[in-house]
Amino acid sequence: MISTDPWVWVSAFMTICSFTLLYGDNILFRIGEYTYTCTVVAHSVVTGIPTITNYFYPLFTGAKPLMIFPLILGIMSIFVVWRKYAWIASFPYALFIGVGTGLTLRALVMTDILGNAQTTIKEAANILVGSPADQLGFAVRVIFTISATIYLFFTLFHKGPLSKPVGYIRTFGKYAFIIYLGISVGNGIMQQSGLATSAINRLIRQWLGL
Amino acid sequence: MIKVPELKSQYIWAVLLVVYLFTAIQPIGAPFQMSDATIKAHDVIESLPPKSIVAMGGSGVFAFDLESSAAQIAAIIQMARKGLRLVAVPLGTEAVQFEKYCIDAALVDKKFGGPWTYGVDYVVLPYLAGGSAALVSFLTSVRSQVSTDVKGTPIDQLPIMNDFRSYKDIALWTCPHRDFPIIARYVTGERGIPSIAFAQAAAYSLYAVYMMIYPDKIWMTNGFLGGAQYEDLEGISGLGHAAIDSYAIISAVVIAFIVLGNIRLLSTLGDEKEEVKEEKV
Repeated sequence: MISTDPWVWVSAFMTICSFTLLYGDNILFRIGEYTYTCTVVAHSVVTGIPTITNYFYPLFTGAKPLMIFPLILGIMSIFVVWRKYAWIASFPYALFIGVGTGLTLRALVMTDILGNAQTTIKEAANILVGSPADQLGFAVRVIFTISATIYLFFTLFHKGPLSKPVGYIRTFGKYAFIIYLGISVGNGIMQQSGLATSAINRLIRQWLGL
Repeated sequence: MIKVPELKSQYIWAVLLVVYLFTAIQPIGAPFQMSDATIKAHDVIESLPPKSIVAMGGSGVFAFDLESSAAQIAAIIQMARKGLRLVAVPLGTEAVQFEKYCIDAALVDKKFGGPWTYGVDYVVLPYLAGGSAALVSFLTSVRSQVSTDVKGTPIDQLPIMNDFRSYKDIALWTCPHRDFPIIARYVTGERGIPSIAFAQAAAYSLYAVYMMIYPDKIWMTNGFLGGAQYEDLEGISGLGHAAIDSYAIISAVVIAFIVLGNIRLLSTLGDEKEEVKEEKV
C-alpha cells in the first residue's frame, strides 16, 4: 500500500529529483541539489548549537573555569569574516593547525609509515610458509609494495649504471598502481550500485509499498 | 568488420535502472561467499564478556552510509543479544543522526521489544567538535569532552556513563563511517583498543591495509556484501541481503558494458586511422 507519511513522499520526491540527472541537467535535479545543500548546512547549525551548550555548560556552572580560553579563541576565530580584523583569527587557527599537525604526525608515523614498513617485512618472511595461495598473496603484496615505492622514489629518474634494472622495476611499480586503481574503481562501482539499490528499494517498498 | 552502435550514457543508465527495478521487485536470492574478515569481526563481538562497553563512532557519512549500516545494524543486534553496552561517539555533525538511526533500525530498545534501555545499556553522545584533537582528549578523559548526552541529560544521570571514564573502559570500537584512519591511528594504533570498520566498498580497498598492519586488532567488512555476510552470521535478513541481488547482476551488466565499450573503441580506432590517411592524401 502506498505510504501516507508526508516525509516518505518528500524523500521519494527528492530521490526522483536526483535520478533525473541521468537524463541530463534539469530543474528537478537543481531543486533536489539545492534542497540537499541547504539541509546539510541547516543540520550542521542545528547540531552545532547543542555542541556549544555541551562544551560550555561546565564553564557557566563554574565546574571548568579554564573553558574560558577555548571560548575566547572561538570568538576570535569568527573575526575571519572581517577583512580588517582577520588577523585576530590567525591566532586560534595557528593553534588549531599546530595541534592537529602535531597529533597527526605522531600517529601517522607510528601506524601508516612504521606500521606499513613493519608489516611488509613480516609478510616477506611469510612468503615461504603456509598454503601456496597464501604464499602467492604475500609475495604479491611485498613485490607490489616495493615496486610501487621505487616508482615513487624515482619519479624524477636519473640516468646511471643501474638505470635499466631500476627502470624495469619502476614500470612494474606503475602497473601495481594501475591495478590498485582498477580495484578502487571496482569497489567504487560496488558502492554506487549499493547506494542506487538502497534508494530504489526505499522508493518501491517504503513509498509504493510493493 | 561488425559495427558496434555508440553506447550513449542514457542507454547504459536505462538498462541499469531496469535491472535495479527488477531485482528490487523480484529478489532472486543471489548466492554470496562468506569472508574470513567478516567471520573474525563477528567472532570478536561474540567473545566479549557481557556488560563490556563498545564504542561506535567516527566521522564522514556518505549519503547516509546505508552501505556500512547494513553490517553495523546486525552488529548492534548481536551486541544486544550478548548483553553488551554501546556508547555512540559522533565525530561529525551528520554522524549524530546516522548513529541514532543505526540503533533505532536495530530495534534493540525496550520500546521496540528489545532488551536495551537508554542510558543504562546504550547512550548517544553529542557531536564532538575538533577532529583528532577532540578524539584524543575524549579517550584520555571522557568528561573533559562530554558533559551531557545528545538530549542534554547530564552524563552523571546516565548509569552507563559511570562505568565509562576513559579509553581503558572501551572493549571494542566500531566505526560505520568513511574516516576510519582516525580510529585506526588514535584508538587502535596508539591505545591498543581493537576496532571493527564496517566500511563502504570504496573505503574498503583504501583502508584494508590497516587490517594487515594490525592483524589481531582491526577487522573490516566490505560494503553491502559484508553487511549481507554479517546478517547471515547473525541469522537475519536486512539491507545487506536486499542489495546483494543487484550487486550480482549489476556487476555482470557493468562487465558487459566495459567489454562492449572496448569493442566499440577498438572498432572506431581503424576508422580514425583511415580518416588520418585520407587527410594526408
